[in-house]
Amino acid sequence: MEFQSCVKIINEWDIVAARQLGRNVAKELGFGTVDQARITTAISELARNIYLYAGQGRVCIEKLYENGKSGLLIIASDEGPGIPDVRKVMEDGFSTSGGLGAGLPGVKRLMDEFDLDTNVGKGTEIRATKWLR
Amino acid sequence: MESRENLEEKYREALSNYLKEQTEQALYQGQKYSRKTIEHKISPEEIISFHKSTLMDTYEDLPDEVLHSLDFLLEVMMGYGIAYREHQNLKHLQQELKSEIEIAANVQHTLLGTHIPKVKDLEIGAISVPARHMNGDYYHFVQDENQCVGVAIADVIGKGIPAALCMSMIKYAMDSLPDHRHFPKSVLESLNRVVERNVDPSMFITMFYGLFDPETHIFSYASAGHEPGFYYDAEKKEFTDLTARGLLLGVEKKTQYEQYEKYVAPGDMIVLMSDGVTECRTSEGFIERNTLIEFIEKNMHLSAQEMVNNIYKQLEKMQHFQLRDDFTLIILKRNV
Amino acid sequence: MNIMIDVKDIDSKATVKVKGEIDAYTAPKLRETLFPLSEQQNVHMVVDLSEVSYMDSTGLGVFVGLFKSVRSHNGEFRLVGLSERLRRLFDITGLADIIDINSNAEGGVK
Repeated sequence: MEFQSCVKIINEWDIVAARQLGRNVAKELGFGTVDQARITTAISELARNIYLYAGQGRVCIEKLYENGKSGLLIIASDEGPGIPDVRKVMEDGFSTSGGLGAGLPGVKRLMDEFDLDTNVGKGTEIRATKWLR
Repeated sequence: MESRENLEEKYREALSNYLKEQTEQALYQGQKYSRKTIEHKISPEEIISFHKSTLMDTYEDLPDEVLHSLDFLLEVMMGYGIAYREHQNLKHLQQELKSEIEIAANVQHTLLGTHIPKVKDLEIGAISVPARHMNGDYYHFVQDENQCVGVAIADVIGKGIPAALCMSMIKYAMDSLPDHRHFPKSVLESLNRVVERNVDPSMFITMFYGLFDPETHIFSYASAGHEPGFYYDAEKKEFTDLTARGLLLGVEKKTQYEQYEKYVAPGDMIVLMSDGVTECRTSEGFIERNTLIEFIEKNMHLSAQEMVNNIYKQLEKMQHFQLRDDFTLIILKRNV
Repeated sequence: MNIMIDVKDIDSKATVKVKGEIDAYTAPKLRETLFPLSEQQNVHMVVDLSEVSYMDSTGLGVFVGLFKSVRSHNGEFRLVGLSERLRRLFDITGLADIIDINSNAEGGVK
């Protein structure tokens, strides 16, 4: 683990701070503007979910170096209500209806890797990675 | 498949051409280009990035504001990009669903298939067309060892897949009826018990069941809330409603059905239908039963099968080829 | 959705007025709104259909379901203000023999 920094998500302004952090790291790693925008959009969606449905949580950004590749990992975690039906929130079309987990299929598509752990009543952790091509 | 770099190069070319000379031809290239990028699943934010890098390479002294504005535009387009990708995936899912339903419709077609029997002195025509893929209407013919022919026509309240599933159950209930002669009254009474027990409480079935005896030429029938058919008296040249009282299948456990009888003279006709026939809506309102009678009269010189085919075609045309409900029409005609 | 449902529910006397079209698209809303009412003990439920411009067999299904639910809770169920076409629908299906469709909206019997 080379480098990790986090932003606490409590109010809507923290979403901006998380985006800024993500963009800075993405720039440092050498991501182009389109990928920068994809990473920040993914961070926005994840942070917004925390702000709207979990109350509070945090977004951490980590630089990854693996087999000569570098990448950016987003970890969004909260101790909110959790997601009862993960399959459903990962379905397209569900996101438009709003509600817990909205926008997750979008995040999954924007990033290269996506992993979700959730426990009802305990919270959710989402890890999403983008590799530099 | 063309590579992304290649497509970026193409964009650069097309845009440069247009910047040199603002012709319709150059714009047309742009439109053609978008067809290609959609095909290659290029998202809107990528196009903006192509645009920005083209501008940067073409003009050295571009104001920073222009470049910043493109970054802003790119951010705004992200949401559209996500929506676009979601749309692509949903389109794909819809295709899958559609082909699944088509297969289900084929299975249903095979399950519910029935043969129009050859009966002495009687000509039979039948047509059934679903409003969507799956048919909630059903008709069935059976012939017993005495050459008596039974005809069932049924309509599930509701349409589409749930109705079709329900129909398959009716078909099996009918197949498992005892083998002796099918009296209309007892057929309906036993089916009513099956439906009452097994179907969702807000789902109901209307059914008409008739039995024609080619020896006595008597048609006996009973109805469970089904749209009344017509009887054509050839001697009087007159249509009357083939009324039969009876409650829908599946409402009350112990419903008793009344059985009616009619002597069928040469040239007489029995017309049976689903409510999709009379619920056909045209721009002028519902099709009245009289209109239907006119259609039948117009086609009376034809064979029974040609009659039902023609009447369907005419009703379809009146509704501008959009069926609102499943459509079934059966004509039984005693040969002269 | 082209339907409006007005409900007055006082002391298990539910008076309902439906306006618009009842078809496969609006029937679920009708069912969701009226089913909870039908599940009260000894409920008296009156549904006024005088401003229903169209109803297909899906609507019929809703009313039969309501009727059965009300009956199983020892209640009374009436439909009022039926147009000629609706009346015919209830006649053909035999439902007119089990569901009261002949009272006045005010409660007296014609």
